[in-house]
Amino acid sequence: MVSSALSNDRFLYSSVVIFYGIIYDVIVEPPSIGSTTDERGHSRPVAFMPYRVNGQYILEGLASSFMFTLGGLGYVILDQTQSTTMPKFNRLLLIFLGFICIVISFLTTWIFMRMKLPGYLQS
Amino acid sequence: MATSVTAKPASKSKTKSKATLLNALGYKSLLTFTILALACIAGFASRLFAVIRFESIIHEFDPWFNYRATAYMVQHNFYNFLNWFDDRAWYPLGRIVGGTVYPGLMITSGSIHYILHALNIPVHIRDICVFLAPVFSGLTALATYFLTKELWSSGAGLMAACFIAIVPGYISRSVAGSYDNEGIAIFALMFTYYLWVKSVKTGSVFWATLTALSYFYMVSAWGGYVFIINLIPLHVFVLVLMGRFSNRIYTAYTTFFILGLVLSMQIPFVGFQPVRTSEHMASLGVFALINAVAILRYLQSKLSSSEIKYVFTIGVLIAGAAVLGVVVLLTYAGVIAPWSGRFYSLWDTGYAKIHIPIIASVSEHQPTTWFSFFFDLHILVVTFPVGLWYTIKNINDERVFIILYAVSAVYFAGVMVRLMLTLTPVVCVLSAVAFSRLLEFYLKEEESSSKGGDSSDNDENDEKGLYDKAGKLKKMKHEQQKENEAEQGLGINVRSFVVVAVMMMLMMFAVHCTWVTSNAYSSPSIVLASYGQDGSRQIIDDFREAYYWLWQNTRDDARIMSWWDYGYQIAGMGNRTTLVDNNTWNNSHIALVGKAMSSNESEAYKIMTNLDVDYVLVIFGGVIGYSGDDINKFLWMVRIAEGEHPKDIQESNYFSERGEFRVDSEASQTMLNCLMYKLSYYRFGDMKLDFRNPAGFDRTRNAVIGQRSIDLTYLEEAYTSEHWLVRIYRVKKPHEFNRPKIEKGERRFINKSFVSKKTAKKKKGTIKNRPVVIRGQRPSDQ
Repeated sequence: MVSSALSNDRFLYSSVVIFYGIIYDVIVEPPSIGSTTDERGHSRPVAFMPYRVNGQYILEGLASSFMFTLGGLGYVILDQTQSTTMPKFNRLLLIFLGFICIVISFLTTWIFMRMKLPGYLQS
Repeated sequence: MATSVTAKPASKSKTKSKATLLNALGYKSLLTFTILALACIAGFASRLFAVIRFESIIHEFDPWFNYRATAYMVQHNFYNFLNWFDDRAWYPLGRIVGGTVYPGLMITSGSIHYILHALNIPVHIRDICVFLAPVFSGLTALATYFLTKELWSSGAGLMAACFIAIVPGYISRSVAGSYDNEGIAIFALMFTYYLWVKSVKTGSVFWATLTALSYFYMVSAWGGYVFIINLIPLHVFVLVLMGRFSNRIYTAYTTFFILGLVLSMQIPFVGFQPVRTSEHMASLGVFALINAVAILRYLQSKLSSSEIKYVFTIGVLIAGAAVLGVVVLLTYAGVIAPWSGRFYSLWDTGYAKIHIPIIASVSEHQPTTWFSFFFDLHILVVTFPVGLWYTIKNINDERVFIILYAVSAVYFAGVMVRLMLTLTPVVCVLSAVAFSRLLEFYLKEEESSSKGGDSSDNDENDEKGLYDKAGKLKKMKHEQQKENEAEQGLGINVRSFVVVAVMMMLMMFAVHCTWVTSNAYSSPSIVLASYGQDGSRQIIDDFREAYYWLWQNTRDDARIMSWWDYGYQIAGMGNRTTLVDNNTWNNSHIALVGKAMSSNESEAYKIMTNLDVDYVLVIFGGVIGYSGDDINKFLWMVRIAEGEHPKDIQESNYFSERGEFRVDSEASQTMLNCLMYKLSYYRFGDMKLDFRNPAGFDRTRNAVIGQRSIDLTYLEEAYTSEHWLVRIYRVKKPHEFNRPKIEKGERRFINKSFVSKKTAKKKKGTIKNRPVVIRGQRPSDQ
């Protein structure tokens, strides 16, 4: 029973990824998105809580958690191309897909970081 | 891939070339050695930002106590240290230091000091304390290498060592100057795990004993040893459930458990906890279980299979029920303490918030945001589940361990930011597995195809020939394809593309780590630096300035009241008695200080006279915009005080009408009159910081303060540091404020000396205050 649960890799994989950021949403129950007032006095919705390391909105937790998952999937797909019963074209396609996943996840997370912490990797 | 007959020549040449490579075994070990040494050096060097920018100084709060204790131990001897009763902390209670610390850290640096001095190398104990954590990070890298090597391969081990050397999640607790338990404990943790995996693999008493010894060191170093004593039993338990029980595991666990139990009880602070608290009961239960299983195994060899089934079910049921019953009974009887609050809050995540505000008040006990994950682990956060997936795909006894470690640690890290530290090593290990496997796949094929470059045409020809020659033995379809793929491989472009991209990401990881270390984790926090627009640096050294003032200008036995965050620093740098400090063992005492800070002046004065307070110290960041000051922590003081004195202090009184916490004119009267507000903003209303803002503009909270003119009756300002960061007030003695001071011109004297009106001429004397009697009137009262 336990061995089946342990070898159920997809289950474990998702359960690990869930913890990134989502557990915070569950415990702290922050608002889903915040709002800010711009210079003209209009209220604008904000998805990311800037400058706050210890705080987040629900949506940003979900989004970044998804991006982490996507990046991880990219690596798994890259590994899956080792599978021997695969035509070359599919293989190339898969490599391409995995690669895109990784790059998108990486860049998006990077952009998230810039939204969260303006000045990230600068200075 | 070399199963085919036709590929034989190629494989032969490959083995030859491999042999020449392997012959140079020294080459490989030299490479390993070099990489490990470089990892250690890189890890050490990247932790030195603070020392280079500022100076060799102890950081933050807790390290100051550790440093003070170490210095005490070096100055006196070890036994005096164990018996040390510190009367300068927790006035008037005092603190038994020897019995309330994990002495591993002090012993480690103390013995280094001893050895160096025995070798006539005169190093100050402070420098040893400052550089201890970076040195141990190198050892952690080595331990991680060995662990990963046992779990996967030595290539992955090298990668893991490189990761752990620079990963911010670990650097955050081990920069130079951050002299704390965690710095050495992570090394002990990884080393214990390595030895445990080794002993599971070999099943030898020798390795299990070493595990117990390493565990002993861990127990002496950090309270996080509870993680080990729960994880290893969990590993054994899961192995038994998976039907992977073997004599190796039995030997390893029983040896480790018995020795570890006895050794851990040698630490005074731990004492009898290992047999009395619920945190340790899992290990005991598993010990009983594994013995039961071993007995059943033995019976199995004696009895027939139908009998054994019966015996087995009965036996397991009885054993389980007995263990559970005994534990429940003992807990009920009070012999076993139930889970302590800190651990309980890991399961029931709302628990601390409701019941123990002092735990919830510490920002590192909050749940972790995605940002912290990415900030501390960067790319590893993505590859960690991938590595986990690989280990699950190729499972064996010791990999079960790393899987359990990963899953439990990621849960704990999600619940509490602080436990990110225990997650970081396993993330490094599993990410290294993922990367090493990926690179193995994408680099090695390239190697083989490029090596067999000249023979590849040959092979292809042969391959083509294969289809024609029907006489040769046929292969299964997938085998054929496999061969096909192996020979053709991927296009070299695709592979190098992927490899280059992965390398770029790893490079970005290194850049990120360095940036984070330099910007976020290398601040000593007792010396602040601010940068002007022209890039010039300004050092704000207010803390040391004020503590130095305390040291020089107050009586030796003066008692300083401050919020508990600064207790260790006042004791360490100012060398004065404190009321509360970072060892938050007495909640009601802290609540008393919180109550004094949040009541009005006269109420606070009563508490302060009861506690013999001479000086009050507050941290005020409004002038320079320092956000970690006391006003921002104030709500926690109120909450903690409310927890103990709910009649006198109510949190809702400190909010404005709209339910906000503010300091400007909208703030509530209770807030404006409380001691903390007054002490922070005393004389601040007259201060004009720049021309854009009005006087009394608080830069931290971006508001003009509500109460401009603040008078103090019971206290007087004693010292304010250069940037107003630290403000010290003297508590007046009762005779000082009962007679307010009157300027010299305004003083009126009552002449007491009596001058007689009787002169030589006038012989008749007068009676002083003689009532004048007028007939018909009542004598008026004077």
